[in-house]
Amino acid sequence: MTDINMDRRGLLGAGILGAASLGLGTGASAKNPAPLAPHMSKADFAGAMKAFRAVVGNEWVFGDEDSVAPYTKVYVPDPTHRHVPVGAVCPETVEQVQEIVRIANTYKQPLWTVSTGKNMGYGMTAPATPGQVVLDLKRMNRILEVDADLGTCLLEPGVTYQQLKDYLVENNIPLWIDVPTVGPIASPVGNTLDRGVGYTPYGEHFMFQCGMEVVLADGQVMRTGMGSVKGSTAWQAFKWGYGPYIDGLFTQSNLGVVTKMGLWLMPKPPVYKPFMVRHAEMADVPRIIEAMRPLRVSNLVANCNLMMSASYQLAMFKRRNEIVPDGMPLDEASIKKAAKANGLGMWNTYFALYGTEQTVAGVEPIIRASLTASGGEVLTAAEMGDNPWFHHHSTLMEGGLNLDEIGLLRWRGAGGGLAWFAPVAAARGVEAERQTALAKEIVEKHGFDYTAAYAIGWRDLHHIIALLFDKSDAEQEKKADACYRELVTRFGAQGWASYRTGVNSMDLVAQQYGAVNREFNAKIKHALDPNGILAPGKSGII
Amino acid sequence: MPDKTTALAIAGVTLMALAAPAIAGQKLGEAQAIRTPETIYAKTCGYCHGRNVGPIILGRGLPAESVKYIVRHGQNGMPAFRPTEVKPEELEALAAWVEKSEARKGEHGQ
Ligand SMILES: Cc1cc2nc3c(=O)[nH]c(=O)nc-3n(C[C@H](O)[C@H](O)[C@H](O)COP(=O)(O)OP(=O)(O)OC[C@H]3O[C@@H](n4cnc5c(N)ncnc54)[C@H](O)[C@@H]3O)c2cc1C
Ligand code: HEC
Repeated sequence: MTDINMDRRGLLGAGILGAASLGLGTGASAKNPAPLAPHMSKADFAGAMKAFRAVVGNEWVFGDEDSVAPYTKVYVPDPTHRHVPVGAVCPETVEQVQEIVRIANTYKQPLWTVSTGKNMGYGMTAPATPGQVVLDLKRMNRILEVDADLGTCLLEPGVTYQQLKDYLVENNIPLWIDVPTVGPIASPVGNTLDRGVGYTPYGEHFMFQCGMEVVLADGQVMRTGMGSVKGSTAWQAFKWGYGPYIDGLFTQSNLGVVTKMGLWLMPKPPVYKPFMVRHAEMADVPRIIEAMRPLRVSNLVANCNLMMSASYQLAMFKRRNEIVPDGMPLDEASIKKAAKANGLGMWNTYFALYGTEQTVAGVEPIIRASLTASGGEVLTAAEMGDNPWFHHHSTLMEGGLNLDEIGLLRWRGAGGGLAWFAPVAAARGVEAERQTALAKEIVEKHGFDYTAAYAIGWRDLHHIIALLFDKSDAEQEKKADACYRELVTRFGAQGWASYRTGVNSMDLVAQQYGAVNREFNAKIKHALDPNGILAPGKSGII
Repeated sequence: MPDKTTALAIAGVTLMALAAPAIAGQKLGEAQAIRTPETIYAKTCGYCHGRNVGPIILGRGLPAESVKYIVRHGQNGMPAFRPTEVKPEELEALAAWVEKSEARKGEHGQ
């Protein structure tokens, strides 16, 4: 904790400093409000907000600076304050969503849909383009069905992972959930719709999604898969339905408002055994990937393998100035020293075995042999004990809840700045070697640190780079913005495009997926949503 | 519009919920009910505060008004929480509870 922070805390505790004076940081003010959508007049906006109030009640529509404030907080760099919503509307039922969509068409008021709105490091509830009203579905948080035999559930968008987990525990249902790192405040529906990931064998969330209900831009309600067949019992059991498979159209997109989603839940395995493999050198990463790929492709290791760099791990629980003095580069020797002191290597690879006593005992020696041959130390709870990093990842790999990784946001100064950059490659060691070199060159040029991880999903390799900056420092925010754009552009030039991106860079990334693909998306968009009321700019689709 | 009896019944239910947080579980098909400060702290704030992420906030006499403001606006690394996440009446009770709270053994600040 810096001295400045200490002082401010002391003052806050004594009630001397009004919290309001700490500042909003959105750039909007009563004198200079966030701009409306370019085609809209003040009267249109006022008309839409009035009509929304008639649907959900005054208390669930937010349109002034103070009440919209919770919707404006972002971690991503936004030096020109482009990503600021103008309002929010919070329905409780599907019928209300339909009404809101009809009103939005009347006034051409764009709506930015969120489920729980904790898309942290990608924009939280902030929209991709100016002038949008957030359609906040958090109040729709009913757990509609849980089938303990089939291992399925049907959820509304506002159900958090915490709510689902509590329900399973309270009702003694032996099914697991699979969380992204930030489970307690995020949602299965929101995360899956952005094609997020987690750390049990059900970690590729969209693969384990089954059936949706969607409010279309014209206000109709559509069910996907078996959901539209009268009397079907298989809505949550059979993914594909009949004809073109369309669920994917509603992920990372702006073609509908998802109001229900089916998901598969993993039966709690009799044995769960987490591992960490410690490698001593930065240069070891290609070797780890080469050793891991066959284990993962064959599904001998059934969950995603997360390879965490020492700097990423340290940034979770330490401040930068505990490792190197402020203003100094984060050099490898200092990282190594700090890593060692905390029981970490330069790369720390996490995976787990799930099964019965026999299957785990049968697989473990095979895995140990190939990872040891890669130069790693294969460690378990027996060696790692209550090491906080091991504890954190062990929790995640059994779908446990925590928010420890938010500590990343405090790495530098007052913190609060994070943009995820996540380019995709095939799971081959050489790709990682080249990517690490390129990423380090770019982030260091802009004065930032290489705090990154690699993940082998199945056959793919995600490079997950946390661009951490001090958002209270306007200059640093500008630099982070420039750095992020350079990362996207230069990685893209090598064929490494992002699997997902923040509101600050959606158009930039969309360009990398080619003109034909963009046009295809645009055609569908214009056919389904001619007034462009659903989340314009999401994934670069207008 | 709820009549007087329903309003009283609701108040009664809220009081019972406050007295017995253990049975406040969510039922199938029903939206989450109003939660006690204790529950919200355990299931949201307490994952960061007193653990590995945020400063200790219990037992410091933090003014309720400041707590409310910070929850709604976020602060540096802390995300903001919207009225759909922590309901207005939940936040009132939570902020007052934080202000009056005692320090907890075993918590550590960051
Ligand atoms: C430290 C840290 C670690 C993280 N780790 C992970 C991780 O391991 N894995 C991971 O995936 N993410 C991770 N994240 C990113 C993010 O916080 C999570 O992905 C989170 O689950 C997304 O927020 P949410 O669930 O509230 O979804 P939301 O914010 O509600 O939704 C995400 C997006 O999906 C779309 N959407 C949502 N709901 C609807 C709907 N009903 N209809 C149509 N479109 C909709 C919108 O475009 C929305 O912006 C991490 C973030 C941080 C800060
Ligand atoms: C995701 C992690 C996280 C969650 C959840 C969270 N906070 Fe925070 N909170 C933080 C961090 C980090 C800070 C320090 C911010 C800074 O550096 O200025 C903070 C600061 C605060 C402060 C100011 C304390 C001080 O000394 O400056 C208060 C009060 C507060 N939080 C209350 C809450 C309440 C109440 C909740 C639950 C509704 C909550 N927080 C949930 C991370 C969190």
